[in-house]
Amino acid sequence: MMNSRKMITGEGSGLWLLKAFSGALLVIILAIHLVVNHLVYEGGVMSWQDVVAYYQNPVIAGMEAVFLISVTAHALLGLRGILLDLQPSDAMLAWINRLCTVIGIAAIIYGLWLLLTVASFG
Amino acid sequence: MSQKWSLNIEVQRQKGQEQPHFDRFDLEISPDATVLDAVEMIWAFKDCSLCFGHACHHSTCGACGMRVNGVEKLTCITLIGDVTQNGGTIRLQPLRNLPVVSDLVVDLTPLYHRMAQVKHPSVHPIEENKGVANQQTAQQGESDNSYTRLADCIECGLCISVCPAAMTSPAYVGPAALAGAHLAGVIDQQICAIVDTKNGVWRCHSAYECSEVCPSHVQPAHRIMQMRRQLLSQRIRRFFGLQTFHQRKQ
Amino acid sequence: MNRIFQKPDNAIQWFDPRGRQLGYLAFILNRITGMGLALYLLLHLIMLGKLAQGPQAYNSFIETVHHPVFLFGELLVIFAALIHGLNGFRIILNSFGIGVEKHKPLFTVLMIVTLLCGIYFAVRMIAR
Repeated sequence: MMNSRKMITGEGSGLWLLKAFSGALLVIILAIHLVVNHLVYEGGVMSWQDVVAYYQNPVIAGMEAVFLISVTAHALLGLRGILLDLQPSDAMLAWINRLCTVIGIAAIIYGLWLLLTVASFG
Repeated sequence: MSQKWSLNIEVQRQKGQEQPHFDRFDLEISPDATVLDAVEMIWAFKDCSLCFGHACHHSTCGACGMRVNGVEKLTCITLIGDVTQNGGTIRLQPLRNLPVVSDLVVDLTPLYHRMAQVKHPSVHPIEENKGVANQQTAQQGESDNSYTRLADCIECGLCISVCPAAMTSPAYVGPAALAGAHLAGVIDQQICAIVDTKNGVWRCHSAYECSEVCPSHVQPAHRIMQMRRQLLSQRIRRFFGLQTFHQRKQ
Repeated sequence: MNRIFQKPDNAIQWFDPRGRQLGYLAFILNRITGMGLALYLLLHLIMLGKLAQGPQAYNSFIETVHHPVFLFGELLVIFAALIHGLNGFRIILNSFGIGVEKHKPLFTVLMIVTLLCGIYFAVRMIAR
């Protein structure tokens, strides 16, 4: 229990900090994302042409890339935190960590590919 | 003659390995009596096999903690009139997240061990020198910095019972021990190895329920947040090559 | 003396708000909105794949989401994002020792902000 080999000093704080800072970043970027996508454009939703024009701006594309990475990391860390409350064994936790890492990397690669593809249509 | 209420008291019972179940008792008791009085009446007049903890009867020992209608309370200071009405029901259960010894008694040994490991102090110095005693001492020319008082934490376990993180893992250090570590003062390497881990301060879900139920104003959740800040500060200091707290102590 | 046999406790009893205070309710809300937003994120990323299929595929999908059911779903997502984001921000502040003593009024204020922003989004989106 308290003297388990998993009780490595600092192991918990790194991921917690990553979750906290990604969350703080998301509050700002998500606010911009929601305002742009639901309030700015006519009809409340962007058409395909609107999206392509939107991503021509490198600042916007960069912001959305940061948004993608932050939200993916934050979501997976949060889900992992909930799964930790189900008391997984060390082996199960190792699989959870692998699964989250693979899903996270796959989602980020897919999202960045999509972003670049959409930007290239312009 | 004081008014008496007719109540149904449901008490969770468990002896040995049997399944927990509820026994119901009918009681006539004053609304100004405490819940602990009701439990003692049940033991004295209804069922002397009922096991429950009690000692000081004035919220100093922490022995009588239990769940009253699902909420963690010290029963020696919880009035009947505050938790039910005439003709109502009171449901009594042992604290959660701790092994049940018998009926309403739980094993607080894990808590005591953790409090010792984090070097929780049993007394605190009195920060401000006020009061007649200090004035008299000063007049006699003696030092007025030697007064101490008992630590706030009475190790009742209510905070552990209500904690959503402790509910899911027995490895979680727990709000009482984390608050105890904060009260110990400097976070040395031994304490750091306990609190700065995934089962330490970083496991806390910030529900603040421990601070709500604490009968001694220890405010464990607030102390956990302050300890997070201290640990983050240590990390930043270490990153920039500055002295950390335990290095300064040496 | 009557015996009442109690069924076993639920494994996810941390969702039970009975007898709990505001901080615990905030924790429950954070969990529920977090799980909902994670699910939405997955669906959103899949849906956005239609952008790569060209204007016809994406625009016809956008026509579908003008349905009131989807609009209601979008508003739920916006409310969930506001609740989770602002409450999370409060937790970050508290973890740096800021506003710990005032965490309950801080939560109340942030939820009022959530409600006002959410209503504003709802009015603008429904009007369109």
